[in-house]
Amino acid sequence: MASQALTYDGCNFFRQRLVLSTLSGKRVKIKNIRSRDDNPGLRDFEASFIRLLDKVTNGTRIEINQTGTVLFYQPGLLCGGSVEHDCNPQRSIGYYLEALLMLAPFMKTALRATLRGVTNDPTDPSVDLLKSTAIPLMKKFGLEGEGLDIKVVKRGMAPGGGGEVVFTCPVRRTVRPVLFTDPGKIKRIRGVAYSVRVSPQMANRIVDSARSVLNQCLPDIYIHTDHMKGANSGKSPGFGLTLVAETLTGCFLSAEMSSTPQGQGDPVLPEDLGRDCAKLLLEEIYRGGCVDSSNQSLALLFMTLGQQDVSKALLGPLSPYTIEFLRHIRDFFQIMFKMETQKASEDEMKGGDKVLMTCVGVGYSNINKTIK
Amino acid sequence: ASEAFLRQQQATPNLRKLVYGTVAGEEAGNYEEEEVGGLFRVSRPHDNKKHWTDAKDCSRFSPDSSHNWDIGEMLKSIRDCFVTGKWEEGQDAA
Repeated sequence: MASQALTYDGCNFFRQRLVLSTLSGKRVKIKNIRSRDDNPGLRDFEASFIRLLDKVTNGTRIEINQTGTVLFYQPGLLCGGSVEHDCNPQRSIGYYLEALLMLAPFMKTALRATLRGVTNDPTDPSVDLLKSTAIPLMKKFGLEGEGLDIKVVKRGMAPGGGGEVVFTCPVRRTVRPVLFTDPGKIKRIRGVAYSVRVSPQMANRIVDSARSVLNQCLPDIYIHTDHMKGANSGKSPGFGLTLVAETLTGCFLSAEMSSTPQGQGDPVLPEDLGRDCAKLLLEEIYRGGCVDSSNQSLALLFMTLGQQDVSKALLGPLSPYTIEFLRHIRDFFQIMFKMETQKASEDEMKGGDKVLMTCVGVGYSNINKTIK
Repeated sequence: ASEAFLRQQQATPNLRKLVYGTVAGEEAGNYEEEEVGGLFRVSRPHDNKKHWTDAKDCSRFSPDSSHNWDIGEMLKSIRDCFVTGKWEEGQDAA
C-alpha cells in the first residue's frame, strides 16, 4: 500500500502536499520531518492542521510514527458541512484557511467552518487579506453564489490568539476556465487598519502615514479603521494594516503588515508600519500581474482543476512557494504549465517582468457533491 | 522577427527548466560524515538542502530589498499601472 504513495522529504510545503493529495485521491508519505532537528517530528500546528483535514473529510487514514518524523496520509472523501476548529496559535488562521480555500468548493455539502485562534500575525497571510483578495479571485472561477464569505467575528493577535473567523463556501461541480491576461489599471486602493487592546488612535496614525506614501500615486484611497473592543479583541495587544489595490478589470493586489507579537522582537511604531506597508503594496504593484503573490498557487490550482479548456493567467514573478506548488501539481495531476516571460517594455511604466501561465485543465469534477 | 522568436525560445525553456528541471538536481544533496576520535561521527549538512526541505511552510513572498520606494525613480516605474498614468491607444478612462 504505502509503496504506491508519493513520497516526499521534510516538513516544508506540508499543506500543499496534503491538499493536493486530498483533491487527487493519491496517497502521500512524508519522511524525515525535522529528523535532524533538536526537536524532531511534527509540530503542534501541523498536528492541528491534520486534525482540521480529518474534520472536513470522511474516511481519511493518517499514520504517524512514534517520533512524528514520518507521516502517511490516505485521503478520504471531502464531506464539508459545519466544522469548528481550534487552530493552534503557533500559526495564524491564515495558515489553515489557505488550505481550506483550496478544498472548500469540492466538498459534499457547503462548508461552514468556524476557526478560532490567531487572526493576524506577521508570518502568514491574515484573514483580512484572504477576505479581500482570495474571495474575489474565487468568484472569477465561477465559484460565486450565496455564502462565499470570510467573516472576522473576533480579532486575536499573536501570540495569545482568541480570535474567531467564520468561512462559508458553496459547493461546485466544476470550475470554469479563465483568461486573466489583462490586469488593467488600478482605480482605487482600499484598506483596513486594525487595532486591538491598544489605543484606537494607533489605527489613525497608521492610516495617515500610509496615505502620505500612496497619495503620490492615486487620489482614490480609503482606509477603514477597525478597533475591536472587549470580548471581540482577543488576548494580545497589537495593530496592523492590510492594503488592497483594485484594478479596472477586477484584479486585486495586496500587501499587509502586522505589529510584532508582544514579547517577541522590537516593537514597531504605527507610523513606520503604515509607511512600510504602503511600500510593500508598491512592490506588489511593481511585480504586478492579475493575481497577487500570496494567491498565485490558489489561482494555479483552480486553473489546473478547470474544465478541459485552456486557461491563461498573467502573473508577477513566481514566488518560491508557487514554484514548488507547480512541481507538486505535476506530481499529483500530471499537468505542466506553459510559461512565457513578458519583458517589461521601455516606453510603458508598468513595473517588472511578468509571466504568462497557460494550461489545459484536467476536467476535474466534484465527485463528492450530491445530486439533487 | 526571427531574432525575437529565438530570444523567446531561449527565455521560455529557462523558466520551464527552473520550475520543472531542477528537482532531480536538488535530490543529490547529501550528508558529509567525518570521523572524530575514531568513535563519534560528525554529520553536517552538505548543502542547504535540509534547510530548504525543513523550512517554514509559508506562502508569503518576501519583497526584493533592492527596491527603494523612497526615490522618485521607482515610483515612476509603476506610474502607468494606475488610472492616473498613460493610457494605451484605443483605450480611454471613459
